[in-house]
Amino acid sequence: MNIYLVEYAINSLLRQKYKTIFVTVILTTLVFLLTSVFFITNSIKYELQSTVDALPEIVVQKIKAGRHYDLDSERVDDILEITGVNSAVARVWGYYYFANVGVNFTVVGIDEYEEQYKNSLNLIAKSLDFSTNSMFVGEGVKKSMSESYYKEYFNFIKPNGTLKKMNISGVFEGDTQLESNDMIVMSKENARDIFDMSQSRATDIVVKVANVDEIHTVASKIRLIFPDSRVITKDDLKISYQNIFDYKSGIFLALFVVSLFTFFIIIYDKASGLSSEEKREIGILKAIGWRVDDVLKEKFYEGFIISFFAYLLGVFLSLGFVYILKAPLIQKIFTGYSELKTSFDLPFVFDIQTLALVFFLSVPIYIAATIIPSWRSATLEADEVMR
Amino acid sequence: MIELKNIIKRYEINKNNTVTALNGINLTVKEGELVVLKGASGSGKSTILSLIAALSKPTSGEVIVDDKRVSKLPDNFASDFRRDNVGFIFQKYNLINSLSVKENIILPLVPMNLHVNIVEAKLKRVLKMFHIENKENILVKNLSGGEQQRVAIARANINEPKIILADEPTANLDEKLSMKFIDILKELRQQGKTVIVATHDPLFFNLDIVDKVVEIHQGLIS
Repeated sequence: MNIYLVEYAINSLLRQKYKTIFVTVILTTLVFLLTSVFFITNSIKYELQSTVDALPEIVVQKIKAGRHYDLDSERVDDILEITGVNSAVARVWGYYYFANVGVNFTVVGIDEYEEQYKNSLNLIAKSLDFSTNSMFVGEGVKKSMSESYYKEYFNFIKPNGTLKKMNISGVFEGDTQLESNDMIVMSKENARDIFDMSQSRATDIVVKVANVDEIHTVASKIRLIFPDSRVITKDDLKISYQNIFDYKSGIFLALFVVSLFTFFIIIYDKASGLSSEEKREIGILKAIGWRVDDVLKEKFYEGFIISFFAYLLGVFLSLGFVYILKAPLIQKIFTGYSELKTSFDLPFVFDIQTLALVFFLSVPIYIAATIIPSWRSATLEADEVMR
Repeated sequence: MIELKNIIKRYEINKNNTVTALNGINLTVKEGELVVLKGASGSGKSTILSLIAALSKPTSGEVIVDDKRVSKLPDNFASDFRRDNVGFIFQKYNLINSLSVKENIILPLVPMNLHVNIVEAKLKRVLKMFHIENKENILVKNLSGGEQQRVAIARANINEPKIILADEPTANLDEKLSMKFIDILKELRQQGKTVIVATHDPLFFNLDIVDKVVEIHQGLIS
């Protein structure tokens, strides 16, 4: 590498400091936005994929007047008789609105001797003291409760207005933050008490099927036995999750493409228009013996230094914004209903393809925008350029 | 030796307008000679220098330097020819104002990627030769006209070229500084360089160091 040429390129950037600062700021902002969106998308996709993977194969709900109602837990016995069903568990769960913080907690009831429908619940079932009023809470729940000075216990307000004091036994980590962050796990008995449900009732039933190819057959049989039920398969849930995410991504992408285009126009305008001073400089360099490729090499170094610096700065700012500051504003576009949900941390997902994509969308394009006009000037006769 | 044979040079102003700068010039300059091209503004003196330096190509005719047809050289070879053989002192010096004296002088060496010691040695030689040793790190824009010219001459000589071309070198200098420039020309002549000066300054016409004065008038040698 020609150190003198690199030094000249750096000097040239410093000499045009206002242009350099302007282009760096615009390019850094562009890289920062682009990388932030990709980081958030990757993290949420990762969360969603993990959430979907942890979903039960079939969920059976009771529908009355088009709405979801409690069902009789004895329906489990009828479902277990269907060929191909491995297990059926009546779930007791629901949402508890905590007005102080303005968030919904998901209260999940489990039985000590029952097979759990999720791996993460098995660990809690082993640690939870079923004989007392105790519960395990997700990280976000713990945080929300602490904000209202509930550090050791929490008072649930039952539908009849009386209080139910529950001790916090510990904080658990689920398979995914998105799913477990707002979750409270306790015994089914306590959960029924909080929701004022009778002992024989359940919220829904989750069904595990031995052969995944049989899921739709089993679902049809359940519908036949219980015509008032809504049978939701894992595929249905996957599609619904994906639809919400894709819809939001689509809106954001449309807005983003417009802003990206605007940025490119600004950059192209700034980078490609050679001032008369710059043209004269190219003429001087040619006149004192620089070849066209020497001029282009120097312009390449200039373009590379500024765009690569902006790229690195943009990526580092984006890492800080997404994973340290938790992507304020942008994350809400994707997660949407965070007013009612406890906030969650984006898991760090390192994707080299994302970084490569952003690199190729910024650095080579900028270098091309600087080299092409210089090449035009450099290939003219030096005499003509100086005149 | 520099030979210009039947040189015609036309500049296209637009599609319908062309200006004939040189209209059939024949000129020979022997090695080591100091030749003055004399003529009014727009007579074609600068165009001759530009053609010898391969900064532009003639519309017709040939420019031959040391048996090399420089008027036929492709762009990159023309650059190499300039770098190795020609030192050009422009009328307005054509320095890069925001660079220091040192940075301006070593500009022709930058693409050559020479060892730092060689660059420093070449730099010291010309700084001393043109008496600007103490100005090395000063920005060119902060120098006087005479000092800027000496920087331009130093830059033209950094690569020890055989040919020095000077375009209206005293146009921006007072008489005292013009005399100093003539001293520099004497020195260059003594070093055996071929020097061509394009000027309308009468100071040059009766100098004893000048081998030949060629008068250009409306693109022709009078």
